[in-house]
Amino acid sequence: MSTGIVILIVAVIVVVAVGLGRRLRRRAANDGVDSFRRQIDALSPEARKPTVDQVKSAERSNGDERADGSDVA
Amino acid sequence: MARDLAIDLGTANTLVYMKGRGIVLNEPSVIALNRQTGEVLATGREAWQMIGRTPGYIVAVRPLRGGAITDFEITERMIRLLLQRVGVSRFTRPKVVICVPSAITEVERRAVTDAARRAGAADANLIEQPMAAAIGADLPIDEPVGNMVIDIGGGTSETAVISLGGIVALEAVRVGSFDIDAAIQNYVRREHGIAIGERTAEEIKVAIGSAYPTLDENQAEVRGRDLMTGLPKTVLLTPEEVRFATEDVISSIVASVVRCLSKAPPELSQDFLVRGMYLVGGGGLLRGLAERIERETKVPVKMSNVPLEAVVLGAGHVIEHYEALKNMFMGARR
Repeated sequence: MSTGIVILIVAVIVVVAVGLGRRLRRRAANDGVDSFRRQIDALSPEARKPTVDQVKSAERSNGDERADGSDVA
Repeated sequence: MARDLAIDLGTANTLVYMKGRGIVLNEPSVIALNRQTGEVLATGREAWQMIGRTPGYIVAVRPLRGGAITDFEITERMIRLLLQRVGVSRFTRPKVVICVPSAITEVERRAVTDAARRAGAADANLIEQPMAAAIGADLPIDEPVGNMVIDIGGGTSETAVISLGGIVALEAVRVGSFDIDAAIQNYVRREHGIAIGERTAEEIKVAIGSAYPTLDENQAEVRGRDLMTGLPKTVLLTPEEVRFATEDVISSIVASVVRCLSKAPPELSQDFLVRGMYLVGGGGLLRGLAERIERETKVPVKMSNVPLEAVVLGAGHVIEHYEALKNMFMGARR
């Protein structure tokens, strides 16, 4: 009787573990795809535009402050 | 709450990008110290103006050479002071992304991240300069096409082929625009018998330096100290002389570009013929360099719209999209 219960418990644990493992593996695979997609999207020209625009507008408001004291005749 | 920062810790200049604000600092990577007490007297542009003009007790130094830290303690102090200038304090510890040459060693990487952490960063991650430059130069690196970027800095020259957000081929040499200055200094000393400082050599390079004959070629009057008499002396220097003096350095940079081209997969190689290669970095501004590379590789070379800021702009974009782009940090990819 007790042996049957132990086998049942072990079987349930194995089934649950296999199910969990499969789900985790699938999620990890999807994570790779999602993270690569997010990376590529973040590198798109549309995503980069605000960064460049921000710097351009800051440059416009500050004026060109680059100075170099070159004085070779 | 501190705003996160991107730092282009270059051999020549240090640029800082603040998240949400843009470029907030652009100064030479120079620090002036009191030789006796070790006290910092100036950093950035103020210290740069002191190079070669200091009394015995002051020393103005560049703590980075060839893109690597040569003096850890001084670099840490310089980074700390620069971060203080952009509002980083003991209580506001930002996340920091630092651009470094791709060829630096593991020990050098650790030196940079340790210096940034000790200087007040909560977390410091590194990104390769050519990758940051390609992002900042607005190349379509999100597409499966060959993008080639040549970043010529003060101490390093790096060429990279980038596609789909990753580096496909890379070639780096520890030679940059400071080596061009040094070559001019040596030539003037050897051929004209006068000693000139590194700032004067840089001024000669900017005034008449070129990697390929140009239409407007003017001579330059160079003033220095006569090595025989010790008296001030003026000599005339021609652009041909400067080209001859810097030929070895230029050849070495061009050769590294050729090596990188030869490493690129054929599918991407054909893209370069149509799309060209992009030059960034202060060294890329040398007259005739684009023409020289174009002539030797038979691939069109274009100048980036933001040659001096491309690297920090790219790193700034990474700090703006930190979670999405953290896979691009050095050591994050496996």
